[in-house]
Amino acid sequence: MRNYVLTTLLSTVVAVGMIGTAQAEVNVVTWGGAYAVSQQKAYGDTWKGEKINWINYNGGLGEIRTQVESGAVTWDVVDVLPDQVRTGCDEGLFESLDRDMFAPAPDGTPMDKDTMNKVPNDCVAPNIFWSYLAFYEEGTFKGEQPSTIADFFDVKKFPGKRGIHTWPNALIEMALLADGVPIDKVYEVMSTDKGIDRAFAKLDQIKEHAVFWSAGSKPIELVKSGETSMSLAYNGRVGAAVLNEGEKLVPIWDGQVVEEQWWVVMKGAPNVEAAKKFLVHATAPQQQAAQAKWISYGPMRKSALDLIKANEPWHHKGVNIMPHMPTREEVLPRSIFADPAWWADYGGEISERYTAWMSQ
Amino acid sequence: MSTSPAKPGGPVLTADGTPLKTSLERSLKLSKLRALGLILPPLVFLVILFVIPIGSLLTRSIDDGLSNKVLPKTLAAFERWDKTSEPDEAMFEALYLDMTAADRLDLSKLGTRMNYEKSGWRSLLKITARGLNRIDGPPYKPAILQLNKRWGDIKFWQSLGAMKDPVTLGYYLKAVDLKYDGNKNVMRVKKHNRIYQMLWWRTFLVSTIVTIGCLVLAYPVAHLLATLPLRLSNLLMICVLMPFWTSLLVRIVSWMVMLQQNGVVNDSLVSLGMLHDENRLAMMYNFTGTVIVMTQILLPFMILPIYSVMKTIPPSYMKAAQNLGATPSLAFIKVYMPQTVPGVGAGCILVFIVAIGYYITPELVGGKDGRLIGNLIAYHMQNSLNWGLAAAMGTILLVAILTLYWVYDKLVGVDNMKMS
Repeated sequence: MRNYVLTTLLSTVVAVGMIGTAQAEVNVVTWGGAYAVSQQKAYGDTWKGEKINWINYNGGLGEIRTQVESGAVTWDVVDVLPDQVRTGCDEGLFESLDRDMFAPAPDGTPMDKDTMNKVPNDCVAPNIFWSYLAFYEEGTFKGEQPSTIADFFDVKKFPGKRGIHTWPNALIEMALLADGVPIDKVYEVMSTDKGIDRAFAKLDQIKEHAVFWSAGSKPIELVKSGETSMSLAYNGRVGAAVLNEGEKLVPIWDGQVVEEQWWVVMKGAPNVEAAKKFLVHATAPQQQAAQAKWISYGPMRKSALDLIKANEPWHHKGVNIMPHMPTREEVLPRSIFADPAWWADYGGEISERYTAWMSQ
Repeated sequence: MSTSPAKPGGPVLTADGTPLKTSLERSLKLSKLRALGLILPPLVFLVILFVIPIGSLLTRSIDDGLSNKVLPKTLAAFERWDKTSEPDEAMFEALYLDMTAADRLDLSKLGTRMNYEKSGWRSLLKITARGLNRIDGPPYKPAILQLNKRWGDIKFWQSLGAMKDPVTLGYYLKAVDLKYDGNKNVMRVKKHNRIYQMLWWRTFLVSTIVTIGCLVLAYPVAHLLATLPLRLSNLLMICVLMPFWTSLLVRIVSWMVMLQQNGVVNDSLVSLGMLHDENRLAMMYNFTGTVIVMTQILLPFMILPIYSVMKTIPPSYMKAAQNLGATPSLAFIKVYMPQTVPGVGAGCILVFIVAIGYYITPELVGGKDGRLIGNLIAYHMQNSLNWGLAAAMGTILLVAILTLYWVYDKLVGVDNMKMS
């Protein structure tokens, strides 16, 4: 009996020890669906290093904070949203990354200068841009077609229901834009109580006509089935429906709200060196551009976007991807880049107000 | 074991000369230890899975020690301040000293915490912390004001009042749409930010409707199950259990297919001419959807306890009642139904308790006005990271359930409850 116990104990120790040493893997945590597939193809299939375990999650810092605080970190690389990247880095949940390890652009520009937005801290590695935008199906409206965000809020001119999401991000910005606030003044106006009231007053105009969605696949369904005449959506979903399925959907680029998405390495990650190597690979211009072959999200690095432009048709189905890139030059003047710092400050309060507004 | 002859007045001894009392105690102690050893695994299990998490839940929900740890001098200066005049140099000096001494990580965690009291604290602390090294000595007030003019906004200073004590009820207040003002008086939050009272009420309402709905649907089914001939009742039992064994998500998605605007139900009603195409019913992504789907999902929890009680009621009772002159319905009401009360009680309490903390169904089908308190708890755990508030809400939920259980015990008696 004692022998048996001893053997079991010993073999457990040995097994645990082997797990500890034999880990030639990287655990990459990202979002599911077509987006994860694009990453597996662009970054995973071209990667010659350690085995990659792709793990899905639904965002949020909850799990990340739990892992770091309990000291039982199992994730290595995580794909995170802009507000999380700031809060998480401030709270010490992510490793800080040596800026010199990343590949420069072909013309020698260092990576941090090659991104289209400001790099917020030392924890991040560039990933993609995506956007919230309005869209409709061809043939929905007779005569004049909607072309601006103001049209989305105008149910008299363009009748029918409107699909909007169940959280306030991007909606506040769009409402103010539609109400005539100039793009560069939007966050200034949003920082005042009056400005928020103004945004909600604008939202009131479509409230009676609103159908609320929370899953990213829903807007396409809403518009195609005719339940709503227009909807807001993630640009990648609209792009996929048009490019992959041949749907006749028309995105309204005016007033789109562009969001960033970053890579980070978990503090105390079990495979920290492999994780960093993987990020160096995934953030190289070539790989960043390759990602857009599979889904219409904009690479964060300018040099990657240039690569796509020069090599159209870039989409894997042999069509041009640039018309669906949220960061192409033509649409930038009427786009808002979401301000994560503003949302970090006011997001909680606005979410409460939006929830109350939604269910009244 | 033989005892030596008792000496009058002396203790009774065992064979080896120790007093019988001591020997008995020793052997009792040993068997007690053995018993303890046997229950040790479940005990450890209980401590790890219940006592520790619930304890940490309770502490999280009232802990507010961070502000005192990071800003002791500032809070002391705040106490001396009259809360209405413009903050003076002494307060800014205290702030400067606290912030330069503070750990960077603590400071950003505190920023998150303070932002719950007043939006804007997070960036204010961050910007200030970044600029501190540019300040080279007193006077601190103009220097800090220059870093960010919001420091001149008295509302930020006043909000410190809600955080000055290391133990707070602030999260509990927040969970019912109340808050502390600068003098720690309780007041209501701004009108258009009130959501929690409404959500508590909605959660209670949904749970009640679902419980009643389950009872109404389950009672006849359970009765059928208990009275049909075995062959038929087995078939019916499978019909009850099949959905119970089916994945929750599958059941929810099938309801989506059925109930959405262009779903099976609406399409059939329109094609039958009972509904105009423009007036399709909104039965999904709202309150109605949550109630319908939750009722179906929780139905087995009502059927099974009622069935198990009904099964034990001898059919001869009903016959006896009718022999004695009762009509079938009177016999059912006077004789049969009272005997099913333990099952009904168990079913109701089971369904209500599960419903009140329900999360996944309302998340998927709740849409604009069918989401419950459980969804807000998850939101604060995963997204806003306001774990204190999530813990306070969880505690309120726990207390509500325990109260309910207590009331039930007083009214019906827990001993009367039959789960199976």
